[in-house]
Amino acid sequence: MELPELHQIAEKERASQKPIRLRICVAAGCQSSGSLAVKKKLEDTVKEAGLSDKVQVVGVGCLKMCSQGPLVQADPTQTLYAKVDETQAAGLVGAVNGGHCHCATVDPNDPFLAHQFSIVLENSGLIDPERIESYIAAEGYEGLYHVLREKTPTEIVETVIKSGLRGRGGAGYPTGLKWALVAKMQSPRKFVVCNADEGDPGAFMDRSVLESDPHRILEGMAIAGYAIGATQGYIYVRGEYPLAIKRLQGAIRQAKRLGMLGGHIFESPFDFNIDLRIGAGAFVCGEETALMASIEGRRGQPRPRPPFPAESGLWGQPTLINNVETFANIPTLIRKGADWFSAIGTEKSKGTKVFALAGKITNTGLIEVPMGTTLRRIVEEMGGGVENGGTVKAVQTGGPSGGCIPADKLDTPVDYESLAAIGSIMGSGGMIVMDQSTNMVDVARFFMEFCMDESCGKCAPCRAGTVQMYRLLSKIREGRGTQQDIDMLNGLCDLLRNTSLCGLGQTAPNPTLSTLRYFRHEYEQLLTDSTVNGQLPKHPANTT
Amino acid sequence: MAWIAENRRDPQVKTSDTPYLTDALKAVLRDRYFPRYPTKRAVLLPALHLIQHTYDWIPTQALQEVAEFLEIAPAEALDTATFYEEYWLKPKGKYLIGVCRSLACELCQSAKLTDTVRRKLGIEVGQTTTDGRFTLIEMECLGSCGSAPVALTNEVLQENLTPEKLEKLIDSLPADPHDFKDPGITWPEDDKH
Ligand SMILES: Cc1cc2nc3c(=O)[nH]c(=O)nc-3n(C[C@H](O)[C@H](O)[C@H](O)COP(=O)(O)O)c2cc1C
Ligand code: FES
Repeated sequence: MELPELHQIAEKERASQKPIRLRICVAAGCQSSGSLAVKKKLEDTVKEAGLSDKVQVVGVGCLKMCSQGPLVQADPTQTLYAKVDETQAAGLVGAVNGGHCHCATVDPNDPFLAHQFSIVLENSGLIDPERIESYIAAEGYEGLYHVLREKTPTEIVETVIKSGLRGRGGAGYPTGLKWALVAKMQSPRKFVVCNADEGDPGAFMDRSVLESDPHRILEGMAIAGYAIGATQGYIYVRGEYPLAIKRLQGAIRQAKRLGMLGGHIFESPFDFNIDLRIGAGAFVCGEETALMASIEGRRGQPRPRPPFPAESGLWGQPTLINNVETFANIPTLIRKGADWFSAIGTEKSKGTKVFALAGKITNTGLIEVPMGTTLRRIVEEMGGGVENGGTVKAVQTGGPSGGCIPADKLDTPVDYESLAAIGSIMGSGGMIVMDQSTNMVDVARFFMEFCMDESCGKCAPCRAGTVQMYRLLSKIREGRGTQQDIDMLNGLCDLLRNTSLCGLGQTAPNPTLSTLRYFRHEYEQLLTDSTVNGQLPKHPANTT
Repeated sequence: MAWIAENRRDPQVKTSDTPYLTDALKAVLRDRYFPRYPTKRAVLLPALHLIQHTYDWIPTQALQEVAEFLEIAPAEALDTATFYEEYWLKPKGKYLIGVCRSLACELCQSAKLTDTVRRKLGIEVGQTTTDGRFTLIEMECLGSCGSAPVALTNEVLQENLTPEKLEKLIDSLPADPHDFKDPGITWPEDDKH
């Protein structure tokens, strides 16, 4: 396919659009509040009113404000209607056609929307995720075309290095450097792997990208494949994400049909294929070496690194493994350039980050903000603070590898270094907000139980250590703990951190450590040495 | 816990003369999956998914047949199959109700959902109703924490659940689970296969 043909598809798609479009969210969140029935009703109403030439109803991906669903956005006015139900359909169609309705709308200046800056989610809620033409009309695959026809692989790697993009899967390794490592390996076969095994409790950014804009991932992976010299890509996606799996399968099929994947893409010498690999319910498979073992058909157990996947990955060949959100940045980064990208964010953390807001927060949903935005802005302004007027006690970031950030640290900017400095991590982007009713020992115990259940059992510190820590936390929680137990807990934290084989064990102590650091009094209140028959004693140590 | 060894000594491994890995299923593996990977072993997970999709669980005999077809030792197939929680090596119900028990859902009272199913169907977590219709499990984060609490019923995600909604859903499930599909997934005709 040549560029004019690509433009033709885009033109045709745009020409087929009616002057007024009602974009209704059919992503998971709004579906559960009945968006499909509303969509049907809207379509029927348009037909009955004889407005089919003028008004069009399209199903789109996530419109972000999940707590206000079902959401409908009207073009060209951009009015965002919230909590639309079937009875309002007629009024809504009337309203976009010059009439009036009493539907609730979201103020475009609402901080939740106003502070967003979209790169990864730029098409989310705008395009129809089930149609490649819709992605092409949003300049999709143009980046890939220019890359394949006009750039050398080295130029692409250099662009990514220069952009300052860092991995969004948790550790924040510079993406360009990783690409350069794989690119310089001499090998007849190399692989590109997209890690879509998102499993951190509280994280749903990757799922939303896969469901709302699947072609973006395919394009990002194809560009990566060209840059490092690979011809085969795999997307490893969780079995628990059926909708994402189906959207990806459809997207791969459509891309193959139009020649964006397969042999001689865009009449260039470059061949690239992507296959989907479905996981089978093991959190540890998100760890890169475990993920590769799983693709090879073995138990998903990690192995020591080095060798890193870049040197010896799938079947011993050099393998590039990046997270969904990392790949999702690529098409836009390539289209707009490294300078544009690196102007966003902070000195060491460039670009944006998508966060998933959940827990006791008013506006749950997805937000994408420039790196360096403060937690306060995210939680209090955008998230609207704790629901029903409560106060924030702590924010959990980074899932089982992260920590609990107390309310008095909310002015911390979100970037890789700042979050690490206060004992948490950026992680994949889950943010669970907790109010005063949450007991922090419970939270620590919850994550320890998670790590215990998900430990693959290969190394002893993680296999046995998580069990012991879980028991100690339970003992303390149930009011049977002593000061000695807290000391033992601290000792185990050190042991796991320093001696575990992979990231799961190494970071499993983080939720415990951070709650011990900021909420130690909650542990101490529960100790037997400070209670007599469950009553707090008059003991000087406990009067604080 | 993937590493806990279960006692699998089953004095009678039920065998049947008709293979589980039929020629039709072999053809799917050969045509669709072999070309994707440089080794046959890599097809083990997709093969197990296929068996489970067809029979709802993975009988020991099927595991042996898959191992033979992929030219690996049966023990290797068992070793891999037992590692992954999604594979059912014992029969499960027609409907698998997986309530999310991760933090965001827990904060939003997911325990009440589990209790509702327990009470309504008279089964504990991990058990199947005697009529073989329902199995209840708890799952880790389903990636829908913004609309907690949630549950996965077969392949359909149920969000913003309440005990009442869940009860109503269970009552309204069709007799044949194949009729139970995610209404949000539609494909243009030419994309079906
Ligand atoms: C226990 C564990 C689970 C992980 N889970 C994921 C995951 O679900 N998704 C992901 O992208 N990375 C995950 N990672 C990180 C990966 O090992 C790897 O660093 C990442 O995919 C690299 O991509 P990036 O450079 O684009 O961030 C996990 C790591 C560990 C130790
Ligand atoms: S915690 Fe239940 S979906 Fe994430």
